[in-house]
Amino acid sequence: MKNKNFIIIIIFILIQFCFNSCYAVEPNEILKNKEQEERARNISKNIRCMICQNQSIDESSAPLAKDLRILIREKIKSGKKDEEIYKFLTDRYGDFILLKPPFKPDTLALWLLPFIFCIIGLFIIIVNNKKSKKL
Amino acid sequence: MKNLLFKIPTILFLFILSVFLYLLIIDRNPSEVPSNLLNKNTPKFEAKSLFNNKKIFSNKEFGNELVIVNFFATWCKPCRDEHVFIQNFADEKKIKIIGINYKDDPKKAVQWLKKLGNPYSNVAIDRKGEIAIDWGVYGIPETFLINSDAIIKYRHVGPITESIYKKINLIIAKID
Repeated sequence: MKNKNFIIIIIFILIQFCFNSCYAVEPNEILKNKEQEERARNISKNIRCMICQNQSIDESSAPLAKDLRILIREKIKSGKKDEEIYKFLTDRYGDFILLKPPFKPDTLALWLLPFIFCIIGLFIIIVNNKKSKKL
Repeated sequence: MKNLLFKIPTILFLFILSVFLYLLIIDRNPSEVPSNLLNKNTPKFEAKSLFNNKKIFSNKEFGNELVIVNFFATWCKPCRDEHVFIQNFADEKKIKIIGINYKDDPKKAVQWLKKLGNPYSNVAIDRKGEIAIDWGVYGIPETFLINSDAIIKYRHVGPITESIYKKINLIIAKID
């Protein structure tokens, strides 16, 4: 009986994971033009909520996230390109507003250090392996 | 060689550990994001004034003297807490302060200033939060220091406390 209850709880938790991608976009924000709405959603998914900081504005229900979602949609409606919208936001909030940091001199260490550490690690493993084989 | 293979990762690990320890010890707010507008010109805006029917034009307000810009709202409790320091900047330091009333009811804001005192030389109404976005504001209250060339020299996110008040005064002395 205990086992059965345990399995039910596990299944319940797993079902939660299936629905964990919830969105904060409200019905009145959605654009009528499907193509424009898709563009707005894609941009929103890449923009960090400055208040929650670990969520995109697409997922966040913070008032500023809502304001930025509306602003992005207004800019799309007025004919602005995606790059222009990203520039508008980074000009005001810096690169921090992008969930994926850009690849540029300032962020070189951020992008390259993991690979450098992997190479150092691999080198150590290979050298150690050769030595233990010799023994 | 084997000695070196042990030393390099250990040194690297200790280095990373000491960086983390340093960041943990120093006085900083990890969620505070530095302003992207530092050392840049103030964003332009024109908005209705809280006190009369005249419009406020940013290019007329900045560029002649040191100015403090303070984003506030009556619904924001920390804004009430910092109000005494904003008042001090106006009364004791004789600094021009421009208020931006963020997503607020103008009538309530007028009442609020009547009750607590008005440190602002003028207050712009930002009903939709558009001015705030242009200034990169993300958590009110926020306070900016603008030098006499209309360049943003400092931004503080959150309420002004005793220690922040002293810090801002030191920065003002440097700018002057």
